[in-house]
Amino acid sequence: MKNLSKYLATRILLTIPMLLILLTVVFLVLRVLPGDPISAMLGDHAPPAYVAEKKHELGLDKPIWQQYGEYLWQLAHFDLGRSMILNEDVIAPVLEKLPATIELTFVSLLVALAIGVTLGAWAAKHRRSPGDYAARLYGNIVYCIPVFWMGLLLQMIFGVGLDWLPVAGRVGSRVITSDFEMTGFYLFDTLAKGDIGAFTDVGLHLILPALTLGVTLSGIFLRLTRANMLDSLKSDFVLAARARGLSETKVVYGHALGNAFVPVLTMLGLEFAVLLAGAILTETTFSWPGMGRLLLERIYLRDYPTVQGVIVIFALFVSLISLIVDIVHALIDPRVKY
Amino acid sequence: MKKLAVFFLALALVPFGAFAAPKTLVYGTTEKVTDIDNASTWDFHTWEYFQNISAGLLTYKDGSSDLVPALAEKYTVNKAGDEYTFTLRKGLKFSNGNPLDAAAVKWTIDRVVALKGDPVSLVTDYVDTVTVKDPLTVVFKLKSPTGYFPALIATPPYFPQDPKTFPVDKVVHDPSGLASGQFPATGPYKLTSYKRDQEAIFELNPNYYGPKGKVDRIIIRYFADATTLRLSLDKGEVDLAFKTLNPADIDAESKNPKVKTFKLDGVFIRYVAFETSESVFKDKTLRQAFAYLIDRADLNKKVYLGQNKPLYSMIPEGMAYRYPTFKALGDGNVAKAEALLTKAGYSKAKPFEFDLWYTTSHYGDAEVNQAEVLKAQLEKTPLVKVTLKTAEWATYKQQWDKKQMPVFLLGWYPDYIDPDDFSAVFTSTEASKGNGVYFSSKVWDDLYVTERTSADTKIRDAAFKKVQNLWTDDVPTIPLWQGSLYVFTKPNVDNVVTNASMLLLYDKLTLK
Repeated sequence: MKNLSKYLATRILLTIPMLLILLTVVFLVLRVLPGDPISAMLGDHAPPAYVAEKKHELGLDKPIWQQYGEYLWQLAHFDLGRSMILNEDVIAPVLEKLPATIELTFVSLLVALAIGVTLGAWAAKHRRSPGDYAARLYGNIVYCIPVFWMGLLLQMIFGVGLDWLPVAGRVGSRVITSDFEMTGFYLFDTLAKGDIGAFTDVGLHLILPALTLGVTLSGIFLRLTRANMLDSLKSDFVLAARARGLSETKVVYGHALGNAFVPVLTMLGLEFAVLLAGAILTETTFSWPGMGRLLLERIYLRDYPTVQGVIVIFALFVSLISLIVDIVHALIDPRVKY
Repeated sequence: MKKLAVFFLALALVPFGAFAAPKTLVYGTTEKVTDIDNASTWDFHTWEYFQNISAGLLTYKDGSSDLVPALAEKYTVNKAGDEYTFTLRKGLKFSNGNPLDAAAVKWTIDRVVALKGDPVSLVTDYVDTVTVKDPLTVVFKLKSPTGYFPALIATPPYFPQDPKTFPVDKVVHDPSGLASGQFPATGPYKLTSYKRDQEAIFELNPNYYGPKGKVDRIIIRYFADATTLRLSLDKGEVDLAFKTLNPADIDAESKNPKVKTFKLDGVFIRYVAFETSESVFKDKTLRQAFAYLIDRADLNKKVYLGQNKPLYSMIPEGMAYRYPTFKALGDGNVAKAEALLTKAGYSKAKPFEFDLWYTTSHYGDAEVNQAEVLKAQLEKTPLVKVTLKTAEWATYKQQWDKKQMPVFLLGWYPDYIDPDDFSAVFTSTEASKGNGVYFSSKVWDDLYVTERTSADTKIRDAAFKKVQNLWTDDVPTIPLWQGSLYVFTKPNVDNVVTNASMLLLYDKLTLK
């Protein structure tokens, strides 16, 4: 346990240089890009003198190294700064949009795991059967399909063709969110308010975007689970389980799958970053008001502090998930020692 | 028993309407709101907000570009044409109950000037002083006589705001920036809830001076993607979709029997802009050759499926003093273009090569197709070789500022309804810098001074006629097409109208 604490402390400390490198790259890339927040903010008609005044006020006339130093100093005080476009604290839109993205990514991850692991295990059990080939083909196809195209396809089939599910937003167009909003996690908020109608509506709106992201990501989990399951099924402990007379279902899903799941779990931490990247496109396709859309819109406006703030939050989030995965890994796999 | 009878009697007396749910209309759009502050904002969609939650001293008459009194009961102009006196209606109030008087009008103008936001030039270029004569009378003294000043008064920077609610020294981005958290409305609707890029809710303003709107509540839903907006309309998740569906979706929805189509005349235009001061297009022969090669009908057919109108003057149809002079050049006139290019020293062996720029992030998904079709039209002669280049909007703007694009595609929505806003803004020495054209001509500038300072229609007509004739010779820009506005609704929505500035009027909408 002492070693685990030491490992965790090291991992947390390693997050700092990682963040620093990431931030430096983002900071420089944003400033190298043509365009600036002043023209986005003041439009094309503002007098040049006022443009210069505003540039000075926002510190954009300072040397880049000085701007960078000031930004790092701000971050060291846990301050993400103020938006240059809307003159609001960066944390405000981040806190407003983050729950939408977390809700979407977690449900998507559940979808990806449910489909990927179940199909992967089943395909391994029925190795070289038509079902196995079909499952592997599915894994390859969904992995190749661009996420926005998958989104449009699902919208057309389930939204328009079958008319089963809504195609955009987090809630129905006539639902007033201020009636139930508390934490920004709408599934939780609607349940906490006991508003079953709104809960159902929120749930229905979540299905297509979560399926889009989840299905796209399920391919990699499927292949990983299948490959590990095939190894597990050849292991001695599986042979021993069979010899003890356990049912085949118990052997496959109780023993082999548990063992094959450990690499999947490790991969889950890495895939979380992919999931967040996919969320940017999914949020655009489904008009989902989350961090992805915020990031994209603020990049267009060259709102440097907000873009940097969103990246910091994304990076922290990915680090946190990786850390949790490592801890869970240590807890469930007796071979891992810290 | 007696109590029960009283209860049922009371129930019977309650008007049935008391139980009716508010009539709600959901409006979907891909547009964006900038600042909900008339001192800072100068964009189409946010001005639509102001048109519906605020009111001007004057407004456009329904279905016309004539101006009629709104918050003002009447106005007079002095003989010199440089002093306008407005008399306000009695008893005007903001939605929060605060009085709206002449002092609020002056305070608003002073604030717009002090904050120096994007639309400040709409005020400072014209207004010298604003004086409160009495609580109902306000006088605008202009820097010089301006015939179209009433059209300027009908723009949002002139819409009075509540001095007790708005901060005097800073821009408000949304109602949460106001002490009360609520925008004090003077228009037919008030903004009751707002979430950036997500939703806005409007409800009837009980203190509005004019006739009440027919829909109790309007919810605007913001879409990140035009295709999703179309799908939401098809599914009935939105009652009304406005700005901006893709041309293919407009075509499909126009034929959809379950959807109602409103095609409204628009005065927004698209054009080709040349950097005329330093680039290769400094030579007007090359600009003329470019103009001869453009085929507007072909462009409209291939890219916009016939949804827009070919444009032969920068001043669009529906405006006064319009002369479609570019018609004389013809469309796709390759022979004429080749003659000019040969004169300029180009040949098959040494073609005229240049970059044509377009932006992918401002004018919709069809922009790339427009650029490709233009390239094909220009390359109908072997004497021209075009390379298409693209940049997203923020970069694009910086590049035209820095004269890095020799020729590029732009669009224009009017600020005020006057031909001046379709001519001087592109080619007067001062204003043309703002559009990256950098055109300068004393002859043109003098003509603009003439039309601006005169209210005489004959003098203005002659000046605009000369300008439009000069346009085909100097070719600082080339008009391409005039857009139509398409609004799609569910069958139960009616009375979809815009004012002369193409701003959707919420109070005219009806819902069965």
